[in-house]
Amino acid sequence: MVDPLFEEMGKVVPEGLLKGSWEGKDGAIYLPLPEDAFGGVIKGFVEKGLVLVGLFCEEGFREGERFTLLYVFEKRGYERLVVLLRGLGEGRASSVARDFPSASWYEREITDGFGIAFPDGPDGRPLFLHECYPDGFHPLRKSQARPREAQKRTAYAFKEVTGEGVYQIPVGPVHAGIIEPGHFRFSVIGETVLALEIRMFFKHRGIEKLAEGKTSEEGVLFAEAISGDESAANSTAFCECAERIAGTRLPARAQHLRTVLLELERMYSHLGDLAGMAVDVAYPVGASPFLVLREELLRQNRALTGSRFLKGAIVPGGLRRDLPREALAALGAYLPSFMERFVEAAKGIRSTPLVIDRYAGTGIVRRELVKPLNLSGPIARACDVRIDTRADHPYGLYAAMRLTPRLQQDGDVLARFEVKAEEVLASATIILQLLERLPDGPVRTRCASKNGYALALVEAPRGQSMHYLHLRNGTIVRYKVRTASFCNWQAIEHAVPGNIVPDFPLINKSMNLSYAGTDL
Amino acid sequence: MNWLFALYFVLNTAVAVALAPLLMGVVKKVKAWAQGRRGQPLLQPYYNLAKLLRKETVVSSNASWVTRATPYLSISVLIVATLSVPLLFLPGKTSAFGNVILFFYLLALANFFMALTGLDGGSTFGGMGSSREMSLSAILEPLVLLTFLTLAFVFKTFDIFGIVGTTSQAGIFSVDPVLILLGAAFFVIIVAETARLPVDNPETHLELTMVHEAMVLEHSGKHLALMETAHAIKQLLLMALFINIFLPFGFATQPTAASVALSLLSFLAKSIILAAAIGLFESSVAKLRLYRVPGFYAVGTFLVVLTIILEVFR
Repeated sequence: MVDPLFEEMGKVVPEGLLKGSWEGKDGAIYLPLPEDAFGGVIKGFVEKGLVLVGLFCEEGFREGERFTLLYVFEKRGYERLVVLLRGLGEGRASSVARDFPSASWYEREITDGFGIAFPDGPDGRPLFLHECYPDGFHPLRKSQARPREAQKRTAYAFKEVTGEGVYQIPVGPVHAGIIEPGHFRFSVIGETVLALEIRMFFKHRGIEKLAEGKTSEEGVLFAEAISGDESAANSTAFCECAERIAGTRLPARAQHLRTVLLELERMYSHLGDLAGMAVDVAYPVGASPFLVLREELLRQNRALTGSRFLKGAIVPGGLRRDLPREALAALGAYLPSFMERFVEAAKGIRSTPLVIDRYAGTGIVRRELVKPLNLSGPIARACDVRIDTRADHPYGLYAAMRLTPRLQQDGDVLARFEVKAEEVLASATIILQLLERLPDGPVRTRCASKNGYALALVEAPRGQSMHYLHLRNGTIVRYKVRTASFCNWQAIEHAVPGNIVPDFPLINKSMNLSYAGTDL
Repeated sequence: MNWLFALYFVLNTAVAVALAPLLMGVVKKVKAWAQGRRGQPLLQPYYNLAKLLRKETVVSSNASWVTRATPYLSISVLIVATLSVPLLFLPGKTSAFGNVILFFYLLALANFFMALTGLDGGSTFGGMGSSREMSLSAILEPLVLLTFLTLAFVFKTFDIFGIVGTTSQAGIFSVDPVLILLGAAFFVIIVAETARLPVDNPETHLELTMVHEAMVLEHSGKHLALMETAHAIKQLLLMALFINIFLPFGFATQPTAASVALSLLSFLAKSIILAAAIGLFESSVAKLRLYRVPGFYAVGTFLVVLTIILEVFR
């Protein structure tokens, strides 16, 4: 093979080991590593600047190993992914979290789900198993029975800052508004935040476990339930996995319509954020034009798919049914006026000094954090990092589109506002172009259920979502999802300190992280 | 105490308590319109109070007598304070109730107890609200004092009744046009004291940004109804003071039935217009970053100082 990524890897992986690798159905390079070579390869990957985009465990992935850890890496600039396979003979492994900080949450997740310990990890606390679960309960093991009774374990220890005048503010998981549950522990001096720690997983639904034993037709319904306003992105990612396993090629019309739905989702999702930011600085007059536009888009969604949140439209092999031609025509006629009014609404925010004063310089995410924490989406693009899964790992129609990510420099709330505002317009333009040259033909093809596994990355409104699907005998044996929010939540712990407490809701809203998307 | 004062006592208090929730409703309605929404019914604040009065009152197990006493104390103090601000007519030449200092420190007393209950419940947000409220009131106090000292200097009296008596006889412009500057400063005081934008957001559900709302967060049922009524009365009194000093036309100069009725109508119209103006003002601004609030107060203070310079060195 003369693949450039392969060549690059040859510099850090011993020749003999590289021979044992294979190309997956998703195009990724799967490389099994013996335990003694693992540490060296990881060091090499650190030097080469690879990014850990996912880490998860599967039971019974290969013969002769009970557990296999899959480390998914990307090298920026290369489309293909590299997956390191690490077989485990026993229920413990060494941690990579010191080299790849984003691994800390992954490893804690694996410890909870599979009971695999990472004794040298930086953080040994449980992640999604809260205090009510009994010891020794590891739900993702195939043999795990349901817990018989709730049990009170030792309380979760937050990292607290102590000192004269420093106090803790515990916020949530029950909030004063209609918000999803999450706990925020602030260490504060006066009004200035010294440290923030978040705790999620109050609404963990066990989607990965629930999907096991289901067919891929059924599985897509779980995928679109992951996060309410990312249902098109997540179901597309799921379908991409299933289609890659089956080697299905989608009809052109299905490709086009899927992309229309994906971009519509990005638009209404961003509109909600843009409005939310204005509401959080108590400027509802500036927010309401965005809310009106968002509602109009949701109605377009309903006319197109029958669901305001685009549920039930995307299935393995294409779309469940063709979108009504009148609704598509109406969308094409609507978007130009939408864009005009959107520009006016954005101008309304930009021309209000009190709002800009609140946005500028607030909640800065530093550029250096993007790689180690694997941040993605508008958060990363707002601190001048050129990443967008649609351009970096193109799927569907995006390969032919050559998108240029919209960037901003400052990494603050204002930069995130601008990135999202520009992306709304960019998405509208994409949709208009697609509608103009919409091909005719079927919208669904047969997606056979073959044995195999595949990864898929998509750019959801919040950033990169990674899905991994393993099918055997027509049913799902392992489904793993890592949404953008899972990684991006950790950015908020770095963006908030140094700001004052009343600015937290604004910073939070500008990132618009999904609780449901994290609490699978 | 003569019959006129008894009548004043009954009428003034009744009008204040009855109209206070309406003005809250007007502000909300105007804000909704500004956002392109239909908004809640104008009388919704009354329905809310009726609902709250029927609901169970839950008190934190950490709370002491302060939490239980404050709602009653607040409403009593505010009803007493209604006597300081003549809404429709003047009961007589002088009255100890009309003292400006007394009036503002009655409001401060209610505020002080509200801040105490914020701490008393032992909840995080209450304490945060109290600490912010106390810091901000300390910064606001010079502006309040300067404004009223200036008024006292111009009208040569500390008595609200005396001031209103002069303005309602002569009209503010004939007293001194410079007082328009003072009116702007007074508007800042109204916005700040009634916990409105850009100082505080009365509609927020975000615990971490609250000031006034955080302090009453722990109250429920009847207690909450009393606290909200007290807050509405406070807003009405400040607005009435503004109206009767700066827009006194229509105020009954003689306590006859006809002129009092006319005075009621004109007060109703003026207060609704002022409430609408407050709603529009709130809609046109965003909430200031907490540390920039003193800057907003400084604008008011600047106007007062300007008035003082113009008055003293004319």
